[in-house]
Parts: sequence; C-alpha cells; structure tokens
Amino acid sequence: MAALALVAANISFTSCEKVSPTGVLIGNTSVDDRVKQSMVNISFFEMAWDKMLPDTVQEYSFLVGSDSHITADPGRLEEMLEIGIEYGDLFYCHLGDLADTKAEYYSNTERAIQEATDKWMEKYLVPYVNEDGEPIVDTTSYIDPRTQNIYTLDKPSIFPSALPFYPVVGNHDITHNGWALYCRLFKSSFYEFTVRVICENDTSYDRFIFLDSANGTLGNYQIDEIENGFFQRDQKEIRNTFTFTHTNIFRPSLNEFASTYCREELYYILDKLADWNTTIAFWGHVHAWDDRWFGGVHHITMPSMNFVDHPNGGDNLLVRVTVKRNGDAIVEPVGLHSKERSKEELSENGYLF
Amino acid sequence: MGYAAAQYYSGDHTFDGENKNEASVSLTSGKNIIVGPCIGNTLHYKHYFNNHWSVDGGANLQYTKQLYGFKAKGEYHLKIKSFHMFASAEYMFNNYHRFNTTENVGNMSLRFERGYWDITLGGSFINYNMMGSHYTEPVTLTFGAHASLRPRTNHWNVGLLFRNYDDFYYENWNINWGVDFYYRFNPTWKFFGEFNVRPAGSMSQLASKYETTGKVGIIYRWK
Repeated sequence: MAALALVAANISFTSCEKVSPTGVLIGNTSVDDRVKQSMVNISFFEMAWDKMLPDTVQEYSFLVGSDSHITADPGRLEEMLEIGIEYGDLFYCHLGDLADTKAEYYSNTERAIQEATDKWMEKYLVPYVNEDGEPIVDTTSYIDPRTQNIYTLDKPSIFPSALPFYPVVGNHDITHNGWALYCRLFKSSFYEFTVRVICENDTSYDRFIFLDSANGTLGNYQIDEIENGFFQRDQKEIRNTFTFTHTNIFRPSLNEFASTYCREELYYILDKLADWNTTIAFWGHVHAWDDRWFGGVHHITMPSMNFVDHPNGGDNLLVRVTVKRNGDAIVEPVGLHSKERSKEELSENGYLF
Repeated sequence: MGYAAAQYYSGDHTFDGENKNEASVSLTSGKNIIVGPCIGNTLHYKHYFNNHWSVDGGANLQYTKQLYGFKAKGEYHLKIKSFHMFASAEYMFNNYHRFNTTENVGNMSLRFERGYWDITLGGSFINYNMMGSHYTEPVTLTFGAHASLRPRTNHWNVGLLFRNYDDFYYENWNINWGVDFYYRFNPTWKFFGEFNVRPAGSMSQLASKYETTGKVGIIYRWK
C-alpha cells in the first residue's frame, strides 16, 4: 500500500513537460463524445476524404506510420511526409499518438503538415488556368496533370491543407484537452473513404476505414454506427478493405504492457474484420512490430516512429503498401533515420517548446 | 475431525474444519458496450480434501452475451506465520458464441491473505481460436487486491476490489474495480454480492467504461 501511495504521489506532484500528471490517469474525452462530434463535423464541413485523391487509379501505394509522439521536433513526421512525396505515394495513414498533447506540439505538427503540403502541391498540382493565365473556374482551383482531376480548395477540409494525410486519434492525443487540438486540425476520429480502382476490365473500390479506439474501446456510439451500416451505406463493390486504428489487438511479447480491448470487444473486432473481408488491419499503441494472419486477415502492428524509442531510427518504422492492379497488396518496410535536433537548432527555426 | 485452522480463521472459500463441500449459485446482470443489457448465471462447486488441498469447478452461462464457459481449479493452502497463502492452478474454457470465438485459459496464481486484505499475483496463458486461426497471447500478469471493512471472521463484510480478472475471464491491463459484500447467516449459508466496473482501457485511456455488472448469490456448505 505504501508503494502504491508513493506512485500516486509521484504522479500527482511530478511536473513533466511531456506527460500530464492527470492525463496519465484519465483521458479528457470519451470515445462516444468524439464520435458524435466527428459525425457533426462530417456533416457540417461536408467532408470528403477522397477530395485530394484521383478519381480513379490503377496501381497505387500508401505509407503508414504510428505513434510519432511529436514534441518540439516533428522531424520524423517531416521525414515520413518527405518520403511519400519523393516516392509518389498516393496518401499517408497515421495510427495515432500523433503528438504528445500540448498546444505547442500540435503547432509543430501542423507546421510539418503544412510544409509538406506546399511541397506536395508544388509536385502534383498546377493552377487551373487557360492559355492566357486566367482562372478557368476560380482562383482556388488547381488541376492534377496526372489525372486531369480538378481540385477546389476553397472549403474548409479535414486538413489544415490539401495533403492527403489520414490519422486516427490515440490515447496520448486525448490527454491535456488534446481532442480540441486534434479536432481543430483533423475534424474527425471516425471516417472512411474509398479509392476507385481500374481492375482488369472493370472498376471497383478499395475501402479505407478509420476507427477511434483511443480509449481502448470503440464505444457504444461508434459500434452502433458500424452495426447500422456506416461502412456499407454506399453499396459499392469493394475489392480490398484496409482498417486503421490506434489500440492494438496483438501483444508482440510479454514485456509489452500497453492495454488492449476487453475480451469480448477484442473478439467482436476480430470477427467484424473477418466479416468485412479485411485485407490488412493496422494497429499502433504498443510501440512494437507484429505481423501475422488471423481469421483470414493480415494484421500489422506498427512500431513507434518517435525519437525516444528509436533515437537512431530504424529500417521498419513505416510500411508502404503497394496495391497492384490485380488487387494484391504488397507490404514493404520503410526506414526513418533522422536524428532529433538540438533545442538551439529547433529554437532558431521557430519550433515551439 | 476438527482442524486448528477453524479456530483462528474462517475466510472465504477456506476449509472451516467441518464442511468439506461448498456450492454457490449467482445471478449477474449489467450492461456492456458490445451487447447492451446482459444477464446470466454462474455455478460453483468446491471440495476440500483437508485444510491444504481443494478442487473447484464452475460454469458460466451468460445468456444475452451468448458466452458459455467452465473452469476447473486446484488450490493448495498454507499458513505462513500470520499469512495465509493459496497457490492455485486453473484451466478455463469460454465459448464466445456470438463472435465465433473459443478461448482456452490457463492461470497460475499466488494469493496472500490476512484478516482485512488480500493480494493476488500470477500469470495467465490465454489462447483463442476463430475461423481456424489460433493465437496464444504472451504470458499476462495477473494481479488483484482486495480490502475489507471488517475482519474475515465477521458475519458480514463490505470490501473494495481492484483486479484484472473475474470469475470467468483474465484481462491484460484492463483493471476492474468495485465493491463486494457478504452476510453469513450461519456456518452453512452465506449471501454475497458484488458491483463491478470494467473500464475499457487503463491509464490515459480511462475515459470510457466497457461494462458494469451487479452480482448476487448464495453459498451453501455441507459435510
């Protein structure tokens, strides 16, 4: 009992920049609150997550990272985004615990995304103008010469920018009133989109599902939405389904103490993934790599990409999934190797502490 | 045949020196986020061979959850100075019929008891099977703590519990907490109950509960 009291006192009185003493114990928002707010935002902002994606693709790739826990230095996220632009990945997915929740850290995160957006637009988009340089639609319209898709960037979108960056919320994103910060940038913790793909002689869709499990549960409201057919409402013919959420199912080894779902919910989720005929389910939270097949589903649990766990980087801190024209999803590891910058360097470059 | 143990100790599920058989039935009701309202029964039978050795069997019938299970447990009891130590080995089978999943669980635990409190430490070996796939989790730490308002010898009691398991499941870091109580009418009949809160996660995930349940039951002992 004395030891427990000592731990409690330590948590209560220790001041730490990265960890909220109360946030260690209690998240600020419930999953039901977040999903309700997400649904309102989806409606209010008329959000369409495929807005920045081409109408149709044949073969494409996307990058997945997890648990970046950004503080003053968002270098690993910057590196991830840079890799995607350089390689030509169609979009990015992030499995949560994006930043350790502090307004300054979210500012650094937003800056990383904004800078990558500028590079992404520079690479892919040109203003949609006629031969005389006059806007064809309006000044906020751009065209993607690869696809001839036209994008209008005048409405508030899910992102602070046009970058196709799709995160889910993690438990560290909801402490320190973090949901307010997260929600301002990304608007929703529960969403999906499809990518229209040209198969052999036909078109089909690949579905991407993003679930809020930051509290270690999907919660009543989200489960109701799932059971009421949130992901089947468009009646599309689905070729591949990919799911992304924060809290892991599989514990790679006995010394990983991150909590998972309660028993019954764990089996509910596994059964649901099998029911959706899921191609790959991505999990984060536990900061460790795990790759296995279960129930006909390929499960990949991602390592963290942050500087604390991997100060020297690593060769598999990200994965790239390449979806072939025949529908095969090929997974390959992608390394991150940037080093954490000094406080002086970060300060000189305007990053916030 | 009397036992000295009965003179100084009459804890829960401990041989009282006379009654070698113990049976209980309980009713559990509550709500969780997966199935909503739920109701079920549990049944237990325990046999004491002597003051040290006992075996225990139980069945779990959760009707709305469509969860059915049974377990068997062997336990060794030893008094070490003022402590009572219980070493147990358990096998449990659960069929989560609604989710097409079966679960095999092994557990080995040590429980230390004194008059007002007990703590449990152990390890769980959890294997589950779905659609022809099998997965065995790495060994999971089992831990529990319980404190009582009155000494265990009292004919009534109220206690607080904190643990990552219940009668028919073992969790990872999902920590239950709650209140339990009993009233002992006489050496053979005892009424007991429990209110159990099952949070969804732990630490910073603690903002959403997964399940709340209430349980009431009766224990009968005989020679």
